[in-house]
Formats: sequence, structure tokens, C-alpha cells
Amino acid sequence: MNAIILSAVWGVIMMFSSILFKNKGAFKYIAAIGLIVLTVANIANTYGCDFFNINTHEMLRYTRFGLFFNTIAFLCTLIYVLLSGKEIEKHGNYVAEYYALIFFVLCGVSILTSFNNLLMLFLGIEILSIPLYILTGSDKRNLKGNEAALKYFLMGSFSTGLMLMGIALIYGGTGSFQIDVVRSATLFGTFSGISFLEVAGLLFMLVAMAFKVSAAPFHFWTPDVYDGAPTVFTSFMATVVKAAAFIAFIKLFEVRIADTSAVINWGMLLSLLIIATLLIGNITAVFQQSVKRMLAYSSIAQAGFMLFAVFSLNDFAKEGLILYAVAYSLATIGSFAILAKMKDITFEGFNGLAKSHPVLAATNTIFLLSLAGIPLTAGFFAKYYMLASVVKTGHYLWLVILGVLFAAVSVYYYFRVIQAMYFKEGDAQAEDVTPGFKIGLIIVAALIILVGIYPQVVLNWLYF
Amino acid sequence: MGVTSILFWSLSALALISAIMVLATKNPVHSVLWLIVVFFAISGHYILLNAQFLAIVNLIVYAGAIMVLFLFVIMLMNLNTATEPKKNLWMKLAGIISGGSLFLILISVVRSSVDMSQKSALVKDGNIGLIDTLGKVLFNEYTIPFEISSILFLSAMVGAVVIGKKN
Amino acid sequence: MSLMNILLNATEGNNAANYFPIGVQLIFAIGFIATMMIATHLLGPKRKTADKLENFASGIPTHGNARQPIAIKYFLVAILFVLFDVEVIFFYPYAVNFRALGWDGFWKVLMFVGFFVVGFTYIIKKGALTWED
Repeated sequence: MNAIILSAVWGVIMMFSSILFKNKGAFKYIAAIGLIVLTVANIANTYGCDFFNINTHEMLRYTRFGLFFNTIAFLCTLIYVLLSGKEIEKHGNYVAEYYALIFFVLCGVSILTSFNNLLMLFLGIEILSIPLYILTGSDKRNLKGNEAALKYFLMGSFSTGLMLMGIALIYGGTGSFQIDVVRSATLFGTFSGISFLEVAGLLFMLVAMAFKVSAAPFHFWTPDVYDGAPTVFTSFMATVVKAAAFIAFIKLFEVRIADTSAVINWGMLLSLLIIATLLIGNITAVFQQSVKRMLAYSSIAQAGFMLFAVFSLNDFAKEGLILYAVAYSLATIGSFAILAKMKDITFEGFNGLAKSHPVLAATNTIFLLSLAGIPLTAGFFAKYYMLASVVKTGHYLWLVILGVLFAAVSVYYYFRVIQAMYFKEGDAQAEDVTPGFKIGLIIVAALIILVGIYPQVVLNWLYF
Repeated sequence: MGVTSILFWSLSALALISAIMVLATKNPVHSVLWLIVVFFAISGHYILLNAQFLAIVNLIVYAGAIMVLFLFVIMLMNLNTATEPKKNLWMKLAGIISGGSLFLILISVVRSSVDMSQKSALVKDGNIGLIDTLGKVLFNEYTIPFEISSILFLSAMVGAVVIGKKN
Repeated sequence: MSLMNILLNATEGNNAANYFPIGVQLIFAIGFIATMMIATHLLGPKRKTADKLENFASGIPTHGNARQPIAIKYFLVAILFVLFDVEVIFFYPYAVNFRALGWDGFWKVLMFVGFFVVGFTYIIKKGALTWED
């Protein structure tokens, strides 16, 4: 409860700080303080100190997994705010409001990591999505941004509608909104077969969640939205939010799949989803000319890897998802922060960056290597755990081979950027960066390598 | 066939026909007006289920406020030239096939729900949908979602200011 | 069951049959309007001239088109209205159970309203409802 209440309260504080403070630079620090408070409160909650003793009627259930993900989300947002705060200030006069919306998103994240009731899932998804629609359209003069926001909003509300339909059907099938109630005997008497309403409802939920995590074939919004939205907000959308949607996905299906597996081959369904996502994400990313769009497609590809966790649903998958969230969020936040500083965001724009801005080029290389999953970076262990979780289930081993193949494809387009930075002549134009920004990038890169060498540094917190 | 079932079937037919009309009319304003008819039909269903509060709220909020917003959106846009982009025939065909298969699946789901076949909805009386029951449930079991929904409203307010107000 | 029986049964308890008179009135209202419109259409003389089909604008010649995009501030007010409208609706179930819920319910509603008051203050301070800016 700490995280949910405090993030909402800090969102309100941010709203009012826009009235109290006129200096744009101050908001970044207020937000950073808020995030530190949130992190501390959430860690306190993890170790059994809940500040608010509220009877949630089992609608929210706190697990170590969810709470730990909250901590990761808050820390990643803290890094994001410190790295990209300057960029947020460039988008109009509503800087404090943007931070307020980010805090509301975090409130949605904390609901999604702890929901035990479909109603809370719906509220969490909505609180997560609505601020994002607004952040996408925050650059009001930019036609592409407007289009992206409208597209995101329409498609997002459509998928929320599907989710509601699914919730209604599940309610019809089980007689309860609680996700762990199988069937209430009082409502359904002695009948103990499979409820097809529940099956249909779960399929609707699958579609809606696949949309939220941008898994193919429900990915159509992703490239346009990620490309059209201001780069700073894209990096937030693609990292913390996406990982949180995955946590919700895994939480929902973990308890539900066994219930209906007699009539639906979930393994086949999910593996089709995974293959489509990996295929479309990776292959389309190869042909992109703009680095921002390439990263958008690559985030679809990364979603394909994270779907392995939903597929295998074991302890390995959960550890892997946490690790993936860390690795992917850090690397994406870093590389988007660099992207936001570039004058030209095509591949040519990166030509010769190593000469003009050696620190940016070096850290960007580490981020991209991590995204590609090269050993000694966090991305390697993230992908390794995902594949290992599938191996552990013992079925569908060909998925692992496909996963490795597509990881190899992804190396190609990530290396195109590295090649442009180091081996091509050109004058890459980047805005002037402060020493603080460089130090921030170096810290993020160091964290990625640290996790890459010693992943237990993250995973141990899941158990101790 | 009792009065209740006559009312049920006629309201269902009204809801379905006007929902189809929402899609079929070319003029967006007419679509909105048909949508209001849909909401009235659904409110009628709520009354049949004895959920009176929901029926009235559905009228006040949806048929009243939200529809006004829809009209505002239509007025915000420049609709002088009624241009609806021509859709690709293949896209239409794909839409019909996928929508039709979804429809078939849903029908078969409802038909094969053995557990539902013996049940009938609690129509006309029963106090589940009455306002005092609803209030008790809302302020006891469902307090958490109720309070959290205020955060949703708050973010909508911030969003309205950010998007709608001049920089 | 005949229609009149429903009316007789409706007196006791809170059930859907209570809405029968409202339904009757609705049918009468719609029927009356429809009859009147059809009747005037059939009975009235029809002389269609170009002048009669013109839009009436207080005798001034019409100019321009009514489909002008309107200013966003109307929409801002409308959307804020909807938000507070929904808030007010939540009061009604509370008001019905006011006594039964006691102080416990009061604090819950107060927290909900508190959030809305915060939002309202914010809107006023930001000048979202000031018409001229």
C-alpha cells in the first residue's frame, strides 16, 4: 500500500509545485526526492513495514516479486528523471504536470504488481495508460506527436474494452472478480466442468494484455507511437511501463492457465505469439533508417523475449523477468537519453560520434550490446534466464533455438549503430552535454556491466 | 410469454438495431444520436434487472454527459467535406472474416456453457442492483477501487489541463 | 400476467414494475409527438418555395457554414464537467446509506472528495476555467 498511496500523494505534490515554483529546474529535484521517498517506503513495505493498515478485502496482495519490481521501477524512474530531466523541461510549460503524470503512472505500476482482483487490474491498466496518452501528445505543435497520441488513445481504449469484455466473461464463468477463485460452488452448484465463458474471457484478456505489451500481431501502434511521442517520454513508455504490463500479464496467467488448460493449448498459443513477435520485431527493425524507429521495433522484439516468461511461468521465468526488466530498462533509458541529444536520429546521424563525443559513443555501445544480449552485459543474463526458463519446462525446445536465432538477428541492427559511431567517417552532431549527464551515463553503463557479470546482485533481493 | 420477456426481447432488438445504425450511418452526428438510443435500451435492461440506480446513472452520465462530449469532439473537427477514406476491399474482407469468426466463437461459447443453461437472470425483483445494497457494497468491500478511481480522475484532470490549455 | 396486474403488484417493494407508469408515460410522450408530427404533415398545406427552405436567422441573410471548428476551451469545460458529474454520482449511494455507514463511510467519502477538491483547486489555480486568456 505504501507505494500506491505515496505515489498518488507525490503526484498531487507535483501538481501543486507547478503553482508554487516558477523555476522549471526545481521540478526535477522534487520528483527525484519523491522517487527516493517512494523507493524507501517500498523497501520498508517489502520487509514488513506497511505504513497504512488498510483492509483491502484481498483485492491487493503483496508478494516479494511484485514489491521488488516496484523498487526496480522506482529506481529506474529515478535514473530516468536524473538523466533526462533536462529534456522534459524542453517540452512546454507543463514540466511539473509531466512529473505528476509520471507519478500517477507509477501508482498504476504499483497496482499492477499487486492486484489480486480483476477490477484492480482494470484500474491499474487505466491509471497506467491515461497519463501515457497525454504524455504522448504533450508536444502539441508536432503533428506526428498528435497522430501518435490519437492512435495510441483509440487503440488503447479499444484494447481496454476487450479487457473489460474478458473480465465480464470471466466473471460470468467463475462468479468472482478475484483472480485466484476458481469457481464458486454456491453459484454454480455441483457443476464442475470447464466454463467456456472463462476460457473465452481469458482469450480476450490475452489479446488485451498482448496489446499493452505490444506483442505481435497486436503491435501496430508501437512503432508509430514510440516514433511520434517525444523521445523522453518514449523511453519511459518503453521501459518501466512495458515491464509493469508484463508483471501484470504473468500475475494474471500464472493463476489462470492451469484452470483452463484442458481445453486450450496455451503453450502453442503463446509460442505462436512469441514467434510472431520475435519475427516481426526483429525483421522489421533490420530495415529501419531512423534509430528511434529501429529502437521501437526492437522493443517489440524484446517484448517477444519477455513473453518467454509468460510462456514458462516458473521461478526461473520470474527471476528472468526481473532481470530483464532491469537490463532492458537501464539500457533503453540510457540509449534514448543519448538519442534525445542527437541532432539527426537516422543511422547516418551517428556517423563518427566516437570522435566528437567519445563518452556518449562508448556508453551507447554498452547499452546497445546489452540490448543485443552480448555476454558481460546485463542483457545476456536476461536473455539467458528467459531461454533457460523454457528449457526447464521441458516442452517446446525449438522455441529456444528460434530465440537464439532471433537474438543473432538483433545483433545486426544494434551493431549498425555501433559501426556508424566507430567505423564511419562523419560529423555526428550532438547537443552539448553537461559533465553530470556523462557521469550519469557512465554509472548506468557500469550498472549494466555489474549486473552482467554478477546477476545475483539483483536476484538475491528477490529472496533476502 | 410474459410481459418481462416481451420487454426484454424488444429492448434487445432496439439495442442491436440502433448499435448497427451507429456504424451504418454516414453522418457522425447521427451516429451519436443512435448511440443515445442504445444507451436508453440498455437502461431499459437495467430496469428489467431491477438495477434502477445504474439505469439512471447510465442515462445521466452516458446519454447525457459523454454524448455531449462526443458531439463536442465532432464539432471540434472540421467536417465540412464528408470524406470517409475508401477502404481496401481486402481489408473489408479480412475484417468480415475475423469479426465473423469471433462472433461464431462467442455464440458457441454461450451455447456450450452447460452451467449457464439452467440459470435465468434475476429479473424484475431481487435487490442486488438497488441503490442501498450497491452503496453498502461500494463503501465496504469495494472501498479500495473506489478510492483509487479518484487517482484516475485526478490524472484525467491534469491531462485535460495539459492538453487543453494554451502553453 | 396482464398489464393491470403489474400495476397493482407494483405498490409493494422496490422492483422493476414500479417503472411501469414511467414507461407508459414515455410511450405516451413519444406517441403524442409522433402523432402530432404525422398529423401536421398530412393536414397542413404545403407550399415549398426557395425562400421558405432557407435557414431562418432573424431576417438576416445567412453567411458561412455552421460547421466551424469550435474553440478547445468549450471542450475543456465539458470534460471537467463530466469528471465532477461522475464524482457527484458517487455521493448518491453514500447518501442513501448515510446512517448505516456512519463515521467509517464518512472518512472514506471525505478522502474521495479530498482528492477531487485537490484537483479542483489545481484547475482553478491553473486558470483552466478562466474564459479570457
